[in-house]
Amino acid sequence: MNQPYKKRPGSNRKFVGGYQPRIDAWEKARGKVKYIDDLTIKSRFPELLYAKVLRSPHAHARIKKIDVTRAEQLAGVVSVMTYKDEEFASLRPTNAGWTDGVDTVSYDRMMWRKFIDRRVLGDSACWVTDEVGAVVAAETEEIADEAIRLIDVEWDVLPFVLDPMEAMKPGAPQIHPEITLNNILPPDKVGGEDVFMDKGDVDQGFADAEVIVDGTSIHHNATQASLDNWCCVVHWTDEKLTLYSNSYEADQSRMHISEMLGLPLHKVNVISSYVGGQFGRGDTGEQPFFLFTAVLSKKTGHPVKFRHTRRESFHDSRQPSIYYGKVGAGKDGIITSLYFKSIGNTGAYADHSIFALKFAPKEIAEVSFAHIPNVKLESYAVYTNKLPACMMRGVGNSQFNLIFGHVIDLLAEKLDMDPIDLCIKNFGHKWETLPNKSLTQVLKQGAEKIGWKEKRHKPGRGPTRDKVKKRGVGFSVHPAWHAEWQEVRRGRIPVSITLNPDGTVILNAPTVETGTGSNTCNVLGCAEALSFLNITPEDIHWNHVVNTETSLKDCVQTDSSVSYLQSEVLAVAAKEIKKQILERAEPVFNVKSRELNIADGHIFVRKNPDQSLSVKEVLFQDDLVPIVVTTSRVPNAKKTGVPYFANFAEVEVDIDTGKVDVLHLVVINDCGTVMFASGAEAQQVGGQVMGMGEALTEEIIYDEITGVPLNFNFIDYKIPTMADMPEIDPILLEIWKGAGKYGACGVGEGTLTCTPRAIMNAIYNAIGVRINDIPIKPEKIIRAMGKA
Amino acid sequence: MPKSSKGNQKIVATPSSEIKIKINGCWRNFELGRDIRPNMTLSFFLRENLGYTGLKIACDEGGCGACTVIMDGKAVLSCMMLAVEANGHEIITIEGLQKDDPVVEAFAQQCEPGYGTALQCGICTPGFVMSTKALLEENSVPTIDEVKEALSGHICRCGCYAGIAQAVTHASEKIVKEGESS
Repeated sequence: MNQPYKKRPGSNRKFVGGYQPRIDAWEKARGKVKYIDDLTIKSRFPELLYAKVLRSPHAHARIKKIDVTRAEQLAGVVSVMTYKDEEFASLRPTNAGWTDGVDTVSYDRMMWRKFIDRRVLGDSACWVTDEVGAVVAAETEEIADEAIRLIDVEWDVLPFVLDPMEAMKPGAPQIHPEITLNNILPPDKVGGEDVFMDKGDVDQGFADAEVIVDGTSIHHNATQASLDNWCCVVHWTDEKLTLYSNSYEADQSRMHISEMLGLPLHKVNVISSYVGGQFGRGDTGEQPFFLFTAVLSKKTGHPVKFRHTRRESFHDSRQPSIYYGKVGAGKDGIITSLYFKSIGNTGAYADHSIFALKFAPKEIAEVSFAHIPNVKLESYAVYTNKLPACMMRGVGNSQFNLIFGHVIDLLAEKLDMDPIDLCIKNFGHKWETLPNKSLTQVLKQGAEKIGWKEKRHKPGRGPTRDKVKKRGVGFSVHPAWHAEWQEVRRGRIPVSITLNPDGTVILNAPTVETGTGSNTCNVLGCAEALSFLNITPEDIHWNHVVNTETSLKDCVQTDSSVSYLQSEVLAVAAKEIKKQILERAEPVFNVKSRELNIADGHIFVRKNPDQSLSVKEVLFQDDLVPIVVTTSRVPNAKKTGVPYFANFAEVEVDIDTGKVDVLHLVVINDCGTVMFASGAEAQQVGGQVMGMGEALTEEIIYDEITGVPLNFNFIDYKIPTMADMPEIDPILLEIWKGAGKYGACGVGEGTLTCTPRAIMNAIYNAIGVRINDIPIKPEKIIRAMGKA
Repeated sequence: MPKSSKGNQKIVATPSSEIKIKINGCWRNFELGRDIRPNMTLSFFLRENLGYTGLKIACDEGGCGACTVIMDGKAVLSCMMLAVEANGHEIITIEGLQKDDPVVEAFAQQCEPGYGTALQCGICTPGFVMSTKALLEENSVPTIDEVKEALSGHICRCGCYAGIAQAVTHASEKIVKEGESS
């Protein structure tokens, strides 16, 4: 039995921050929850057709000729359409990152509007398996598949490039000449110049520094691997277009469809239910599939389903990147100069590359490097003919932490200093003086839990066990995201509380439930805000279906922050509920509402508390019309900085075989306020599967000769299972506090961002040789040790 | 680990091509060709034709465990079996479990501090529940290593393995307790 976390001293919360099951736990444990593929089985849509899309067999090619005659003649095929059809030729080109943002934006306001590089269905393919040329609707998926095979294409096969370093060289194949002639994404308004941060004078800082270290790190492309494969059903009738999807954002999908297909918003209905895992999936080059499925539905008059196979669901990943980092410091360990340069493998389409490479690191620098006088950040996003992808849990931060934790470890070693002390001495935001309280507590408590003092030794100098096994410990630390001030871009966040006359509540705080647990956070937050009614979370019904015709705008499942954003608004709504109850009580008590108050579910006269009736008694004397309060609020923009989180790892390395066993992981998050302890711990424990997978086993592998991805399946792409996971200690802290009633901060992404670097530093501590290219497979260890 | 029964099973094709499967306690008759195509997987048949959508088809190639059902007391991957292979056998899907099943209850209720919940998005959960059922039927007090062995054919991408292990322990305790009192 582990100890529950310690609440902030003086906090008096009844429900928020509690240990309890998720609100959907029974339904999910009984298999009753319906995901998109369950909701759209053919028996529910008897007229259903299935769509498939032609995929490029080449890494870079253009269609010279296409002949769909044989496909059209196949029995069971209802429609074959190509890029030449007016329905597709007339569609505006787009950017796949458009539909993946925290806020709903129109075509003209999409975040990466400088990189409009993709057609919904075009004639050019930029990576192997790119969607290109033709789509089919048929009575069964098998027939649709067969029809795709019967399409005759004559390809103009073009030279391709997979490595960003090669792609930057003069003479490399040009992938999107309409945007760039050297494959490097040009500077844009959102991301800024190539050197996107230049504070002080970095060169002078290095010239003056007493100690300088530098290094590189390489992050490959793990995939989100949500078990719920991408899927949609579109029914486009004369009356309206209905989309059932497992995208994690309903309102943005509605805007996307409206703007691309020219339908007014009220003629587009997007319906989302439970989603089986999200993890950032959403900005792949695959997104236009809503649109071609819609076009097929209109053409055939049938509802049309398009779902990825498992292999196709691999078409999204973290953006691979190469980082160089350099740090200059005094002998006292005070860092004076910091420089980071990155080269990102954007892949075939730009989507959110710049978010990972510039936007996220800029925020990290703002909140963590405020006390360092000279900081320079430089980045290049490079098109290649690989999988276009970027957004994955901890976007940009995971890659940045890999180099950050590396140079810190290097510098500490050179200074002969504990890296924990080094971090405490240097990092923190500008809103407070050093040392940062959150950072200090996160590191001290994490260190104690892993046994840092006892287990840390000089690199490679620990005892050897069983003749071949060496142990080591390591950690990495990172500023959390996101606090409320970082979410202002979302605009208004609407919620609605319906108080029934019997005192029960219907909560309309829509968000697509992807497993994050924000639904339970909402219910706990609502119960807390309405605690004057003496209700419990069981008295609150949270509606899990997001339907853009009947729901409020959904709060998009990004930035790990839905867990508290809606609760902050619910606190405002609850005050209005109270006010309206008292107004309804006026005629019953025959006094003005300001003379009344509510506590423990009872309305009473302030001057004479004995004169009291339960809320239910009062409402049942009224007209029995529920009290409905709908309100919205823009996140509080007050800059409060952010808290910190860290991961500590203990590993055992077999120096003969190169196998790494992770023995123990400690994951420690300062949450500001814990909204739902069991959910937060589930994120902490669960995040380690992804973090450890990225560190040791998970990687999409290509045939470098042809550009063909080789392991789009769960047999060859290794996700850790229960048998692989070590003991994990989740620690929740409440040190920092943001603005707002709860002042919480996102947790979910901050559970795994540091895991790879913590494991890498632990490996170095064990064997005394650094490997900076993840995943660290056994062969890399053997090679680094000079044994191969 | 859930096993495919492919290869070790007789197909009893009656002359009328009638397929009999006991599903969640009831024998049901199907006609080969009309109800079940010969190339139809068991997972597809159970979901699309019979509406048992509790089992999930996530990888469709035996790599994730989400489609696990119980056949004759053993956990099997229904995506790796043809529907006709179930002829003459008993299949239990998650819909066939009692409402207060101790395994379901343990997965739903896990919130013991330090382990997180036993599920988040929930899409892998029915598979884990069915493998746990089969494990505890055979071995009501498994060691943690036995639990890991039995459940290592499943992927939980939300990563709730620690919560799941706690749930299996709690289910085991409840089953043993109920066995003692009955």
